[in-house]
Amino acid sequence: MVTAYVMVKANTGEADRLKTEIMDLDGVVDAHIVAGDVDIIAKLDVDSTADVKAIAADGIQNVEGVEDTQTYIAMD
Amino acid sequence: MRFVIIGAGRVGLRTARVLREEGHDVTIIEADANKAERARTDDFEVIEGDGAREEILEQADLESADALGALTGDLNVNFAACMVGKHYDCRTVLRIDEDYREDIYRKFASDVDEVVYPERLGAIGAKNALLGGNIRAIADIAQNLQVVELTITEESPVKGYSISELSLPANARILAFGKKDEPMGIPLPDDSLAVGDRVAVLADFAVLEDVRQILVGDASRGAAEAVKGGT
Repeated sequence: MVTAYVMVKANTGEADRLKTEIMDLDGVVDAHIVAGDVDIIAKLDVDSTADVKAIAADGIQNVEGVEDTQTYIAMD
Repeated sequence: MRFVIIGAGRVGLRTARVLREEGHDVTIIEADANKAERARTDDFEVIEGDGAREEILEQADLESADALGALTGDLNVNFAACMVGKHYDCRTVLRIDEDYREDIYRKFASDVDEVVYPERLGAIGAKNALLGGNIRAIADIAQNLQVVELTITEESPVKGYSISELSLPANARILAFGKKDEPMGIPLPDDSLAVGDRVAVLADFAVLEDVRQILVGDASRGAAEAVKGGT
């Protein structure tokens, strides 16, 4: 099991829609709209690091209104 | 009133000066030693430290402050300061760094009473300067909706018309009318449009140029320049 956190920078004010679309992706277990220099933090629980890449790069990055992502894989 | 301003950069320091000029008490919190020193030279009471930390904010005596302006360029600092400020019952104002975040903070940040995006206000000023003398943007109501004040010129196609005879595009409304050198008031159907009279219009950005041509006329920009050039 691999847990990862993805920081999402948006380029739109439609934070609700972004959160819903990100939550709908398989492997995303939680997401929050946050204050600060990123707009949403999503938590992933998946089988392998390859899945992390697939969800962050192909899933989240392809959501309309997502400008950039930064992924952190948990080590504990 | 008493205000605590976080950040003594271009936005924070200027805001502090305006408040002081109007007779208010201002305490500034600034993390950068050089900026703090500059604000002190300007005779402000400055607390040097991280405005995101409660123990620093407490030194500014938030209990007695009416409002807190989190005006640094760092959104994390600004948000943390507003959370602490709200805890002390201050009115809180947060500066954002990108315009799309305005809606997000208005909707989700319950500890923030007001959001400011200084670049938007700067853009209104720049736009006024670019548009020239006979049209002046007063406020951006929404991204595509603004209130502008137009002055009737010799070239205005509607010069001599009454307000009731005026036909504006569907996405525009007349909000106020003022005779030359008189204050603005509620527009009445019989008010007549003479040179120098001003009309405040709420208009969609798409029809703003049409509104300008109807009320001010085509040659107005050139004419305004010519007048300025002649003096």
